[in-house]
Amino acid sequence: MAYIPGFFMIEPSAEQSKHRAAGLFVRKEKKFDVDIFREQLKEIRLETRRNSAALIEQLKKTLAECDGIETTSAKDAKEAASLIKAFAGDREIASINKSNVVINEIRPELHRVGLKTYLRYYGEFKNFEGDKFQKKIEDYWSLPNIHDKHLVESFDIKRRIPITSPSESKDYIAILGVNAISAEDGSVYFLQHMSNISKDIEQAYKVVVVLSIEKILKNSIDAVNHTRAMGIFGLESILLDLIPHDVEKFDFDSLPLVKNEKAKEIMFIIYDNGRSDLLNTPYQDLFLCIDCRACARQCPVGQHIPFEKDMVYSPKNYLLGSLQGWLHPFEFCLHCGRCEVECPVNIDIPSLIWRSQFEYYERHPRGLKKRLLDDPELLAKLGCLSAPISNWSVKNPFVKLLTEIFVGINRDANLPTFHRETFRDWFKGAKNV
Amino acid sequence: MSEKLVYFTGCFTNYYNPDVGKALFAILKRHGIELIVPDQKCCGMPMMANGNREGAKKNFDYNIDSLYEASSPGYDIITTCPSCNMMLKKEGLPFFESEKARTVSKRVYDAGAYLYSMNLKGKLDKDFYELPLKVFYHNPCHLKVQHITKEPVEVLKLIPGIEIVGVNKNCCGMSGSYGMKKVNKERSKEIGQKVWSEVTLHKPDIITTECGGCGLQINGGTGIRVVHPIVLLNEAYTPVRDRKIF
Repeated sequence: MAYIPGFFMIEPSAEQSKHRAAGLFVRKEKKFDVDIFREQLKEIRLETRRNSAALIEQLKKTLAECDGIETTSAKDAKEAASLIKAFAGDREIASINKSNVVINEIRPELHRVGLKTYLRYYGEFKNFEGDKFQKKIEDYWSLPNIHDKHLVESFDIKRRIPITSPSESKDYIAILGVNAISAEDGSVYFLQHMSNISKDIEQAYKVVVVLSIEKILKNSIDAVNHTRAMGIFGLESILLDLIPHDVEKFDFDSLPLVKNEKAKEIMFIIYDNGRSDLLNTPYQDLFLCIDCRACARQCPVGQHIPFEKDMVYSPKNYLLGSLQGWLHPFEFCLHCGRCEVECPVNIDIPSLIWRSQFEYYERHPRGLKKRLLDDPELLAKLGCLSAPISNWSVKNPFVKLLTEIFVGINRDANLPTFHRETFRDWFKGAKNV
Repeated sequence: MSEKLVYFTGCFTNYYNPDVGKALFAILKRHGIELIVPDQKCCGMPMMANGNREGAKKNFDYNIDSLYEASSPGYDIITTCPSCNMMLKKEGLPFFESEKARTVSKRVYDAGAYLYSMNLKGKLDKDFYELPLKVFYHNPCHLKVQHITKEPVEVLKLIPGIEIVGVNKNCCGMSGSYGMKKVNKERSKEIGQKVWSEVTLHKPDIITTECGGCGLQINGGTGIRVVHPIVLLNEAYTPVRDRKIF
């Protein structure tokens, strides 16, 4: 029997948080156990990864029985953009949601095929000064640790958006990356902080729903938990997004209503872009990612490489981009290892970054400066043997200049002092005393 | 706890800051623990960071063989450099894995965490002399990600006179030679700036951190002297007249 899948919004609720806080502090209700939830999430993600191919096939069958839904597949961003352009017809204006897949992967291709995209999310904030989005979070690192406060359960299904065909709509296309979809019944889940997604579903003349294959889950229970997890573990990185953005605003609300010529058209794109290829590689754990960007909160360089336009930088997204072939491998990574610390599904991102760099340098030659610096022990031995001359020379402005030019060491760098007698030399004498 | 400890010194202590190793030697001697310093090379992490997998593997394998043998009677392995610690415990394993490497990984401890656990077992000598200093502690990333954050501070708090005026767990932006490279200069400085501001806000007499690179970055940005916590601890065991540092 043909039916229409539901579009569900999972949203935070201040009211619910307040009630929960009161329950915890006054009535001593049982605390939400983040660790148990994390384990459940990991199980869901592992199962999704194990059965990905079967889930995609099941979803295709489910959607084939739905009314008014066109389902298609795109192997990469270029193909997705071309499908979207054909679906959009003459329309040139597109509203996109704050989805990594849509913003980072598909948007550049959408621009190439002539669509103008606008991120409606930021437009809903009131803190604009002219076109500049104003900073609200003063310190990147000092965000509240919401998990510790046990106020994390406030994400839940708040509403279902009916897929009806109103007599009027606005003449634009909405392109929405989902948080999760159930293969069993085709129900779609979005995490929504503002009202941009539900407005788009209701107002847009045509809606494109982008289903990145790792977001296809077994059933609606798993899909709800997956989406809630995105809200819970991504809550702090959402706050990070409130940093200044040069957001190009477009007032979708003021677009005139036009009469619908036919029923609202919805296209689902099952989107791969190299993800299924990862499943048989050492990078398969990236498939477990729920895109919460908890890793972003920890990354020291994130704030200093404004690469992901309209999103806070995430090490995982960058790694995926480099594996997909549209980004260079990490040259700016500090290898601090912090991106693993808060990952709710324990993806060893630091290790995967090392791996991607090794693989890159197996295919590409290392520059002279890299080769000179990769054995600091040799430099240290030479420095200690020639101390104190070496200590004088590294402080000499002319030597510093030469070192900067040929070795790439910044001339202002605070360098350590070589010791003629090393610790191990000293120890050989000391242990015999 | 073992009666002898195998010490992986790391390059920084060996070539640039021998005082750390000397302090560790003195502290352990005081507790009746003998230090063994086997043959060793650079841990290999700088090579990994510069894309030299083969060079890193060569050093890693050399160190694993040496540490495995030295620790085989059941001795624990101790480090004073957070990055060397992390290389031996975690970072090297996915790429240069072996049975010996897994065994060595389980035997490796950070010196501060080791002394902290000695204290929990009532085995740390607390016969300290007063050391009246305002100390700021910077927790290096490579300890933080191994969840070693409170241990060094808890040990320092045992010293009478020491006041921990601040603790920082943010990245300083140095990361070995990363922050020294001209290409990373501005980025490294921007990251370090927040740590520098936090440090100067607390007006410490001295900064303490385990990482040599962090020490250079924070000293460069604040002008305040930086020492390893092990050095501070050893000073507290030393009568004022014999102190070489304070």
